[in-house]
Amino acid sequence: MSLAATASVIRAEMVKTIRIYFSYPIIVVFWAIFPVLWVLPFLFQGKALVGSYSSDAFRQLTGSGNYMAFILIGAMVSNFVFSGLWGVGNSLREETYWGTMEYIIASPTHPLIVLIGKTLAEAAVTTGIVILQAAIITLLPFGISFTVAKVLPVMLLVVLLMVGFYGFAIAFAGFTLLIKEVHGWVHTLEWVFFLFSPIRYPVQVNPITSFVSVLIPLTWALVAIRAIIMLNQHAVGLWKITGILLAMDAVLLVGGYFTFVALERKTRRDGTVGMH
Amino acid sequence: MKDGSGAGSLDHWTTWPLLFRLRHYATAVWAENIKEWKLELTYPLDFARSLIDPVVYLLPYVFYGIALVGGRFSPNLQKLVGTTDIVSFITIGYVFIGFMNMALWATGFSLRKEQMYGTLEAVFAAPVPRWVFTMGMSMHSILHQFLMIVVQLLFILAVFSLKVNPLGLLPALAMIGLMLIALYGIGMIMASTTLLFKQGWLISEALGGILMVVTPIAYPLAVLPVFMQKVALAVPTTYGILASRHFLMGEQMGFSVGTAFLRVAVLCVIWVVVGLVVFALIDKSTRRSGTLSHY
Repeated sequence: MSLAATASVIRAEMVKTIRIYFSYPIIVVFWAIFPVLWVLPFLFQGKALVGSYSSDAFRQLTGSGNYMAFILIGAMVSNFVFSGLWGVGNSLREETYWGTMEYIIASPTHPLIVLIGKTLAEAAVTTGIVILQAAIITLLPFGISFTVAKVLPVMLLVVLLMVGFYGFAIAFAGFTLLIKEVHGWVHTLEWVFFLFSPIRYPVQVNPITSFVSVLIPLTWALVAIRAIIMLNQHAVGLWKITGILLAMDAVLLVGGYFTFVALERKTRRDGTVGMH
Repeated sequence: MKDGSGAGSLDHWTTWPLLFRLRHYATAVWAENIKEWKLELTYPLDFARSLIDPVVYLLPYVFYGIALVGGRFSPNLQKLVGTTDIVSFITIGYVFIGFMNMALWATGFSLRKEQMYGTLEAVFAAPVPRWVFTMGMSMHSILHQFLMIVVQLLFILAVFSLKVNPLGLLPALAMIGLMLIALYGIGMIMASTTLLFKQGWLISEALGGILMVVTPIAYPLAVLPVFMQKVALAVPTTYGILASRHFLMGEQMGFSVGTAFLRVAVLCVIWVVVGLVVFALIDKSTRRSGTLSHY
């Protein structure tokens, strides 16, 4: 397939995915509002346990006592990870439900190209939702402000995080071809990320979570993003973290590609593509 | 059709004596429960995962509390509710709120699940009312939840040594039992929304999100804004969790034990009656409009 034809398939898949997404506008509203609502219990928990909106113990671990800003940034950035898991990792499974999986497999396009289209669409929608959340959060009195000087390095880190993570999600999509029903496994992965990366709490509080967290790109991205937004540390360690994320991206993209290709080939060979 | 509860065409059971009919219903509830267990145990790996998940889910909340306080004991919590141990406080809250899933997902999505299996029409033609069928699903969910609670508690006991009063276990379970009845009513409302909107997950997620905020799972009622405190008093999970912690670790609830039992009993009646009425009305409406089997 020529490059132009490939680009055309990716574009068509993007348009299709976004059209399906916006057929249910209430879902977009839901994702813009509810992740912010989900962090309210953490605010109330903090108020009950500490008695104020700042914690000294939290400051010793993270550099800032503003636990609410910590949680909100975690909630926003983790949107990219979870949208990757659900939107990309689970996307081929959805095609099976819709009854269109066989058409994709039988078309002269490699399923990976279709998956790239889905990934880009998912990234675009998630970015829109996160921007909406950021706008809502800026209006609330949580001590978070987004300036251009902060947003640009944050965007770089988010792109680096997403590239690697979508590599992982593509590998996961391959697993859905193999084991079919992955809904529960996606939930488990979600909670593993909540436990082993600093989305909702500083993982340094426990030696095991602290040790495992360094293997997850989200940990590095969150540490750097929080340093920029909450501590105004623009250049501190940014290049080092960029390097680590780039290395992780390379591993995850290459690993994701080969895993997907191998699993897709196996499913075709076994003749189980159309099975539920 | 002889009654509004949505019985199938084989409705001779409506003329049976009450006790005989109740036995008939109980058999159907049990059969539905067993069917769900059989389906679940067909995927042993998935079943094992479902027992580990609750521990993974609970730990971030506990670690967050420890990170905030810098240890296990919070002087501020002591001032608010008379107990300092945040690990026990948070664990009991999150362990018992797990039952909310019964209302929102197991009962609420029981009919949707059958639709996905392609067996909804067969279920609707069975000679039992639909609430019996959803109760069977709830029973399976409650038993599953108890199993998950055991795993969660064993883990927390092994790692953190939970400090609770064992004598408080029976009254705490009595309160949880009442909470479950009221939650069943909420579950029936959820089940009717899936009949109406088909993809009702959004409503379950939204309602679940709101209940998770207003229920004092890891904080006392006093820290909520006043309007949320008022909403909290109308949901059974508030009483289930506050009273459980009161019996197990001496949390001051702000009202007496008698008041808590009375209020949750009233909520049981209200939610169950409203749940059954809403379900019967929506069931009738979907049958009349012929949209029962629509996706």
